[in-house]
Parts: sequence; structure tokens; C-alpha cells
Amino acid sequence: MLAGCGGGTGAEPAAGTAPAAPAPAPSPAPTPTPPPPTAQTTPADAARLLEQATFGPTDAAITQVQAGSIAGWIDQQLATPATGYAGYPVIDASVSVGCPTGSPATCNRDHYSLFLLQNQFFRNALTGPDQLRQRVAFALSQIFVVSGVDVGTAYAMAAYQQILLDGAFGSYRQLLGRVTLSPAMGRYLDMVNNDRPNPSRGIEPNENYAREVLQLFSLGTVELNADGTPRLDGQGRSIPAYDQDTVEGFAHAFTGWTYPTLPGATARWTNPVHYAGDMEPIAAHHDPEAKRLLGGVSLPAGQTPEKDLGDALDNIAAHPNVGPFIGKQLIQHLVTSNPTPAYVARISAVFANDGAGRRGNLGAVVRAILLDPEARGDAKTAASYGKLREPALLITGALRGIGGSSDGVYLRDRSNAMAQNIYQAPSVFNFYPPDYPVQGTTLVGPGFGVFSASTAFTRSNFLNSLLAGPQRPDTTVPNAIGSQLDLSAWQALATDSNALLDRIDRVLFHGAMSATTRNTILAAVDTIPASDPATRSRAALYLALSSMQYQVEQ
Amino acid sequence: MNTAFDPSRRRFVGGLGSGLLAGALPSFPALAQTSGDYKALVCVFLFGGNDGNNMIVPTDTAGFARYAGIRGDNTAGSGAIGLPQSQLLALPPASGTAQFGAHPEFTELQQVWNAGDLAVLFNVGPLAQPLTKAEYATARLRPDNLFSHADQQAQWQSAVSQGLSRSGWGGRMADVVRNRNPGASVPPLISLVGRDLFTVGNNTAALSVPQNGNFGLSSFGGSANAAVANALQQLLAADRGNSLVASAQDTVTAAIASSAVLNPVLGGNSSAINSLFAGQSNSVSRQLLQVARMIEARSTLAVTRQIFYVTLGGFDTHNGQIATQANLFGQLSPALKSFQDAMAQLGVADQVTTFTLSDFGRTLKPASGGGSDHAWGNHQLIMGGAVRGRTFYGQFPEHSLGGPNDISSEGRWLPTTSVDQYGATLARWFGVADADLATVFPNLRNFGTSNLGFL
Repeated sequence: MLAGCGGGTGAEPAAGTAPAAPAPAPSPAPTPTPPPPTAQTTPADAARLLEQATFGPTDAAITQVQAGSIAGWIDQQLATPATGYAGYPVIDASVSVGCPTGSPATCNRDHYSLFLLQNQFFRNALTGPDQLRQRVAFALSQIFVVSGVDVGTAYAMAAYQQILLDGAFGSYRQLLGRVTLSPAMGRYLDMVNNDRPNPSRGIEPNENYAREVLQLFSLGTVELNADGTPRLDGQGRSIPAYDQDTVEGFAHAFTGWTYPTLPGATARWTNPVHYAGDMEPIAAHHDPEAKRLLGGVSLPAGQTPEKDLGDALDNIAAHPNVGPFIGKQLIQHLVTSNPTPAYVARISAVFANDGAGRRGNLGAVVRAILLDPEARGDAKTAASYGKLREPALLITGALRGIGGSSDGVYLRDRSNAMAQNIYQAPSVFNFYPPDYPVQGTTLVGPGFGVFSASTAFTRSNFLNSLLAGPQRPDTTVPNAIGSQLDLSAWQALATDSNALLDRIDRVLFHGAMSATTRNTILAAVDTIPASDPATRSRAALYLALSSMQYQVEQ
Repeated sequence: MNTAFDPSRRRFVGGLGSGLLAGALPSFPALAQTSGDYKALVCVFLFGGNDGNNMIVPTDTAGFARYAGIRGDNTAGSGAIGLPQSQLLALPPASGTAQFGAHPEFTELQQVWNAGDLAVLFNVGPLAQPLTKAEYATARLRPDNLFSHADQQAQWQSAVSQGLSRSGWGGRMADVVRNRNPGASVPPLISLVGRDLFTVGNNTAALSVPQNGNFGLSSFGGSANAAVANALQQLLAADRGNSLVASAQDTVTAAIASSAVLNPVLGGNSSAINSLFAGQSNSVSRQLLQVARMIEARSTLAVTRQIFYVTLGGFDTHNGQIATQANLFGQLSPALKSFQDAMAQLGVADQVTTFTLSDFGRTLKPASGGGSDHAWGNHQLIMGGAVRGRTFYGQFPEHSLGGPNDISSEGRWLPTTSVDQYGATLARWFGVADADLATVFPNLRNFGTSNLGFL
């Protein structure tokens, strides 16, 4: 566990850097004031909440949210434990040992690739009760990136993703500790077996994890205001958040950790590859010198690896950048790609203090993101509002919204074809950067980074295929059921094309489908005889889900 | 122009009927077939870090002795990864006395060499500025995160070796030349493998096309097909008040326009160069065949400058290198030769230049398990009719562990030529003006020459 790494969640002197009490936000559009918590939740707002906080609204979930309050639904979700990824057996690091000659043909695929885990990602997303936890953990998996490109062992990635699921609503500092000591992360960003300096052998500590933990997992490259905008110096230039000496300081602080010791073996430098449990310290390989960290803080010489690590992560987690840097990305993943600075500032304030004096309470941050006036309301009309549905959410949104069942095999494959290979981003920079520019606008849109001619076709063709009929089970996969939609509820309405469109509007467009979109789809549906409800519902759903009016969630 | 879709695609949807957007296709001027002002660059990225030390081997007596002294002979000793001299394919130079041999699987590329259409650039790699072995000791002068796959791939692809770059030099070349393609139905950069950093421009979005199969919307099918297609077009033009919706619609609209023109090209049914790739079915040959078909269709596409991005993976040979690299070169060599033959048949051999990149070179000293580890400077291939071929460019590193070119004691070559210089030589030939080279290669000014002379 994390002995020696605690302490980061206690009250700490954030007051000096905490943003002022949140000012009333100048929203980009005539955003209605959010209803008081006791007011009746509208179906539109319930559906919007489910788009932001789950893997897609369903007719039943909309009704369920409406039955209570939005805050109540969120609190219930915050208390729901992870469905998670149990049961991936530990296997030898070497394929030739784990899948010796004579093993089933699927051995390699099932243990040394993410195939089964990726399938399960989709099954959990479609049916798990912990929808909000999974959504936030999926967002975290795209911030604290470990990729199957380098860490393709199924049980290793399962354990890593379980950390993100379990820690999604806990403290940022604790999560950072779990992530840092994960052997999967250690392997991916080279903290594992990172040795103390050895001048005679020309060895310097590896800087990879030190650099990325600062650049991607906590601060970003430049100092930020609480509203997420860059701080500027007297000449109007942004200010680097850290320098090379600081990176080297952290790299030295992170020395002396190896893989967890195999059961029955003796710890040594270096332990063989093993991903069950946290990395372990080997004090003789930890740099004993003093280290320079952020904000002029130095670690004194002679500390243990555990103490240096804990102090170094405390130093990171206390930096004022973390709230706006992490908070803004969570907003982008859950709600909208271009939040106003005021929205970011409100979330930074909650990150700095959850109301009970705790810094970095991710559950409180997620709650605040979803309850913010910029998230809530029946419809948003600002030209900059919304986000392109990333591939996994397009896929799950269709299956959940329409109704269907899947073993995940086809969904995994199609998500990959849409350039989102789950837990297997091309690099630590994820599938797309948070500031990916949207062509023809001054806006950013992370999901646009994987939206090309090819993937645009793949997205539409996926919907077309799924609506056309079942995808047959892959018999090499245990308990395979294939992927199929259940269109019966839609077909039952389809003799009345207006009733069909009403339901599409309610479940998939949170009641905000434009008259133009509605009439265009209606006209096409009405060319199909009412005696053919199957084709009618298929055409209506294909057009609705293929439209950019749907694919950009607003 | 009755359908934009490969009929075989109908299996995919299980539907019937003609293409979804039949009748809604834009028309393109049928330009006269001309090979006048046309140039293309084809980047072949060898993922994983190709071991250049076994791609090009010194064959003079002293040079081979140094090589074999470190690498051994794989046919004689276990764990050795040296190639025996008898297996190497001679690469006689057009002039001079340089003696080098190619990997034994380079049979086809040896023919390209002998025809004068292939050159080798020695020991090129990411650098922030020219660097001596003494200067290497100063960390701030080095590229970031040397020997790391992700970082070194990004540095090769971006030509930025310190700090991050959001764009690649292929994409930035496309930014510069896009105005040379007025009226084109496709962007100047086409990737066969998705959106790698090389292909990302500051204001040019690359087009990704599949290696196989259909590039377009599958048909809805049935008697409702036309009505659905019509409605889809209308939806793409409606509700543009939201900027994200409008931009996404623009992407799809442009994709449909590209598909209408490209899908028949990629289907290849009328291509005259298919037979040159007969018998090859691996990924890199498929990709190069598709590139060749698109070059064949350059007039239809209304393009005069094109950049293509092709990849071959699997070069991270930490162990079992001899078999793995032989397998990969056995795919690469015939595919490149077929591509060059196709360019000749199309009459554009002098107008298309193909070049390799890779993550990094590998240690000359073998690693345990019959492989080699991540290193730095590496040798690259440049192929085409415009290439001043049968020539070695750059400086060959001295094969000596801990020697003057080795920044470690395992044979990691400190590059003597930078990616910037390599790329700039290609870019200038391609038509990037000197004034624009500084934008495409922001650190080029740090290096002496921006023209290595191979084009």
C-alpha cells in the first residue's frame, strides 16, 4: 500500500491560491438559471445528465432520473462501487512460458493483448450500474494514460484500470499515488527499475515519468489561473510551470522502485516483470541526495524512497495548476469542449476546497461539474457549446439508446476502427489532445482529433450495419453472444411516424431536435409504407444517429 | 458515374440497391492526362526502430572485420546477430570506392540500386543542433527522451527534438503546397494508416484512406435508399448554428466528395499497374499499391503535389532479430521495387520520391536473446528516378564501441546529419520554397547545409 505517501488529502494552505468565491458566470448563451434542487426534473435535463454522466440515456433511465432529483441521482452514483475488472489471471511475462507450445490458439490473444478487457469495457459500459464511475474512470484513463501498445498484458491493464475505477471519486493525491506506484505505469513511463545515478557507468535517472507526471497528469506546461487561462508575465508571455532542473529533481526522487516481488521470491534489484500489486522500493538504488521540486521546495538528502515519493507527490498535488488543469479536462470529457473560464474557475474552487476543507476531492469535483449551470438546463444554444461524441460513446450511446445486447467483440473492433482502441492510445498523449483545434473555428474539440474522412464513414457505416441486423458471435470468445439491437419498441411506434420521431427526440436528442431535422427525417420515413415498421424505424434511427446534429452532443 | 461504391461492399450491410448517394455526386473536370507539373513524396515509416546496421554493412576488409568483431556471425554462433559477408548483396557506387553490401533480403532493392534509382543516407537522426560527443554530455543540448519509442517517433515525424510539436513535417509541407492543387478533390496529404503526427498540418487535415475495401458510406439499401440518401444530404446542410456541428458536417461533406472520386480509384478495377504487385498481399505492398493507384489517378484527383504516408511495423527487434528483420525486409524490398516499377510504367518515375523513416537505429552490440537495443542515428533509403542514386550520402559511423561516434559503449551512433537536413532536401525538390523551409523545419537554421545533394 501507500505507506509514507499519505497526508496529501488533509487541509493544506490552499487559501492563498484559491480563487475568489465563484462569481456569477457570464455564460456564453442565455442559459437558464438551474432549477432549485427540489424542482421537478424535466425529461430533457434528465436525458442531458445521462449523456454527460453515463454511457448514454435509455428510456428507463430518463424516467428514473426524473423520479428523483439530479443531485440525488449523482449522490447515489457516487456511492455505487465499481463493476470493475476482476478475474484476469496473473501470467508469466514471457509468452513462451504463459502460452507454451500446445496452448489453445486464443492463449496469446486472451492474455497478452487487451482483447478480452476491451470487450468487457463495452459490456460494463452497456449494463453496469456504476455508470458515472465508469464514465469518470474512462476520462481518467485518457488523462493518466497507460497504453496497451507497451503494456499489453491483460491482467496488468485490468489492475491499472481498476485503480482508476476505484479512485474515480476519491482524492486526487491518493489516486496520483496509486497511479505512480502501478507497475503498469512504471513500465509504460519507465519509472520501474529507475536506478540512482551511477557516474562511472554513465547512468542518469530516467526522466520520462517525471516529465509526464508534470506535463500531463497534474500541471501542464504553463502556469494557469484558476479559470484555466494561462498566467502571463509582464511582457504578456506565458510562464513555464517547471524547468528541466525540476524534472531532474523529480526523476531523482522517483529512483529505486522495481516490480512487485513474485510470490515466494526474494526482492532484488531488479525484480522480474510482474504486475500484481504496487511497485516496491529498493533503498540501495534510491538516490540519497537532495532534490529540487516545484515552488522552491527541496527534498532533504537521506530520505527513504517512500518518503521522497510521498513528499514529491504532495508537492505536485498542492500546486495551484492542478485544479484548473485536471478540472477543465474532466469538464471536456463529461460536458463540453469549450467551457467558459468562469465554469472552470467554479470547478477549480471545488478542487481547492470541497466545502469540508479537503483539497482534490474528485467526487465533489465531478458533482460540481454536473450540477453547474453551464451543464444543466433543457437545451443549450451557444454556438460553441457541446462536444463531438468520441467513438466509444457514440457506440454505447447507440446501443443503450436504441436497446440491444452485445458481448463487446464487435464494439471493440469498431471503436478501434474509429481510432479509439480502448486503453491502447497511440501514445501517452492519448487519442487526441485536449486542445485539438476544430477546423474552420476558433474552438477546440478533442474528439475531432480522431474525426477524419475515414472514421466519419466508419461511424455512419457502423450504425447502418448494426441497424441492418445482428453481428454473429465469435465462437472463439467465451460466452459470445454477438451484437444486436432490439428494435421492437421502435417498430411498435413506427406506423405513426410522428410518434417514432417523438421517441427519438426524447431519448436521443433530449427533446432538442430542430424542426428542420425532424421534418427531414419525417419526410424520408413517410416515403416508407406504414406497413413496414421495421424499415421505418431503421431509417429514422439511422438518419438521426448519423446526423452531426446528434454526433455533436449539445 | 452511377455508383460510388464497390458492389462487393453490399455484403457488409446485407442490403440491396445502388450507392446511398448515387445521383448526388459532385462532378469533376476531366483534366487532360499530363505528367507535366506533378510531384509526390512517399514516406515509408518503419515502426519499432529498424536496425540500419544490418541493412547496410561495410564490406571492405577492415570495415567488415570491425562489424563482425562486434556483431559476430549469426550462422556460426548463438546470440550473434552479424550477417556473414557471403550473404551481403553488393551495392557498387556510381563513382568512388565505397564498399557496402545490403541485407540479403534486398534482392529487388539491389536491382533498383543498380538501375540508379536508390540512394542511402548514413547516420541521420533527430538533433536540435549539430552535436559533438563532448557536447552530448550536456543534457540540454540533446533531443528529449532519447531511445524512447514514442518520443523518437514524434521527433522523426515532427522534426522537433526538444519540446512538443502538435504538427509533423509532412503536414507542414502540405500546408505550404496546398495552394498548388486548386480544385483538387482530395487534400495534398493522404495517409494509409490514420493520423500519425507526420501527417498533421497546422491548417491542413490529412485524408486517411483504407488499405483495403470500401472508402465511403455503405448503402442503406432497399426501396428507401434514395429517400434516405436525400435526407442525409439535407441533414448535412441544416442546423449550422452550432460551430461544432457545422465543422463536423464540413468534414463529412468533404469526405463524401473525396469518396466519390477516390473509391473507384482505390477499388483498382481499372488500374493498369495491379499486375506489378502480383503475388504480394502483405500490408506494406497493399499500401504502396493504393498509393500507386492514386498517383495513376492524379489527373482525376486534380492534384499536382501529393504526400503519402505508409508504414511497416515490427522492427523492435530486442530478440530474434535475424528472422524478424529478414521477414520484414522480405516484404519491404519487393514492395518498393514494384512501386518504383509502377511509377516508371506511369511515366512519373522522375516525379515521385520515396523515402524511409524509423524510430531510431539500434545498438551495434547485440543484446541478450539475439537482438539489439534502442539507439539513435540510423541509415535511410531514398528511392526514385530523380534520386542521384547508386550513391552513399552522409558519414558512415565508425564501428567501434565507445568510439568517436558512439555516445554509449554499445554502439549508439550520434547522428552526423539531422532529420531537418534530410527532410529539407526532400522538401526543396518537392517545391517548398526556401522561404517556407524555415516554417516546415523550424530548427533547420541550426545546421550548415539544407541540401544533402541526393536529389
